[in-house]
Amino acid sequence: MSGLPLRLLVAAAVACVVLGATAQPPAVVTFSPEELRRVLSLGPWPPPRRFDASNRVSGNAAAIAFGERLFRDTSLSGNGAIACATCHQPTRAFIDGLPRARGIAIADRNTTTLANVGGQRWYGWDGANDSLWAQSLRPITDAREMNSDFARVAARVRDDPELAARYRAAFSAAPDADDERLAVDAAKALAAYQETLVTGRTPFDDFRDALARGDMVAAARYPLLAQRGVAIFVGSGNCTFCHSGPRLSNGEFHDIGIGFFVEPGRVDPGRHEGIRKLKANRHNLLGAWNDDPARAAPTSTRFVALEHRNFGEFKVPSLRNVARTAPYMHDGSLATLRQVVRHYSQLDEDRLHADGERILKPLGLDQYDVDALVAFLESLSEPAVPAPAR
Amino acid sequence: MRFARTVAFAATLPLAAIAGAQACGEGLGGGKRIVENSHYIVVYATTPAAIEINRHFVVDFAVCPRGGARPPQSVRIDANMPEHRHGMNYRPGVTVLRSGTYRAEGLLFHMPGRWDLTFDVVAGNATQRLSSTMRVE
Repeated sequence: MSGLPLRLLVAAAVACVVLGATAQPPAVVTFSPEELRRVLSLGPWPPPRRFDASNRVSGNAAAIAFGERLFRDTSLSGNGAIACATCHQPTRAFIDGLPRARGIAIADRNTTTLANVGGQRWYGWDGANDSLWAQSLRPITDAREMNSDFARVAARVRDDPELAARYRAAFSAAPDADDERLAVDAAKALAAYQETLVTGRTPFDDFRDALARGDMVAAARYPLLAQRGVAIFVGSGNCTFCHSGPRLSNGEFHDIGIGFFVEPGRVDPGRHEGIRKLKANRHNLLGAWNDDPARAAPTSTRFVALEHRNFGEFKVPSLRNVARTAPYMHDGSLATLRQVVRHYSQLDEDRLHADGERILKPLGLDQYDVDALVAFLESLSEPAVPAPAR
Repeated sequence: MRFARTVAFAATLPLAAIAGAQACGEGLGGGKRIVENSHYIVVYATTPAAIEINRHFVVDFAVCPRGGARPPQSVRIDANMPEHRHGMNYRPGVTVLRSGTYRAEGLLFHMPGRWDLTFDVVAGNATQRLSSTMRVE
């Protein structure tokens, strides 16, 4: 694909009223009505805050503070040295910068950022959990991550005077005598904290909002190279098939031709195993641990289908703050955004499932278009490290 | 089981456009659509009426035999993207609202583009498939 045709369309598009007849009109790429609709669908940002009905302390200030305290607590882990914050480092956009997470041992997958983690349908690269609180339990008990158990977490909350006081403030009750119940409550506090991690506005958001209100002068402040990247993203690249909505993810699962061998002779089954784990998990939203008496949330859990094509599928990541969350892909195998764009440009169709997505084709980007897509992706990141929104 | 692929592409019309079909699907919500073949008329309405990408929706539908066809013994609903060669990530559940009228829950279109909503009507050893094509953006 050549970048030339669209570059020629760089317009002269508007704003004469504002600028007067002799002024140079601002340069804004011309979008078709369909492309413009897709651009607008990537916002606005931030979205309205939603609370999790399955978590009775969602949005509770005391629970948020308790969760933040637990997030940094290494004593929850089996060796006393690993906290949630070990891999999800607040000063690094809540990732560790490593290809694969390193807790007590090296895990199979890349650490995902926790920014904007609230309100999703599925959690984890394989979607094995349907709530943020259930997802928060997983690394605590995973042998390679924190290698802990309910009894250790419960004892820590019960026996530490500060944590016990924080628990009472959050849940309006003394720490539960039942280990599992107390560990699940700790996970719900962790979830309440993580729900507050929302990224700020980005240069792309300013561009998108300017287009929405027809302010081409403001839109023209967005670099032309990034505008070209937007045009590829919503146009010929078909990226919005999966990276849709204000989060730039449909929250579902796809095979994009990344190898799923973890090591010789061992594969990562991805979504296929994730659905099996979800269905077997006593902490899924269909169970008694869901605090929502109406059980309004679990439509997805009730009806999710296990298909052969799920093998090797992984969750579509949000692109918010993507420039801050290298390396990329479920196995951290691509170090830079440029490598990610080149992956799609030179896609090896032989690595895709025979019964998988048929619309994935090599984009065949030239150097200008690669630069443009990278510029757009970088513009989805906020300039500063996100601060918790309280 | 004999599977008669009597697919009624492009036969999806507003109910008001089909003479004689008004009686089928009485009691369904507004925005009803109809898909038909020589054996059955299917009238359906979605909730919400405008399907949104990446949000679950419900389909209420009525199946009415015509031309001496047998009443359905069971019905199934599904959807797929022919251009992508895959379907939904969810398998809808169908419950009977009343005789000949059903509710399907759990549908979700996770990608924009053309979707074919299919109704399989099972009677005896035969299955009739009626398909309604839509674009969702």
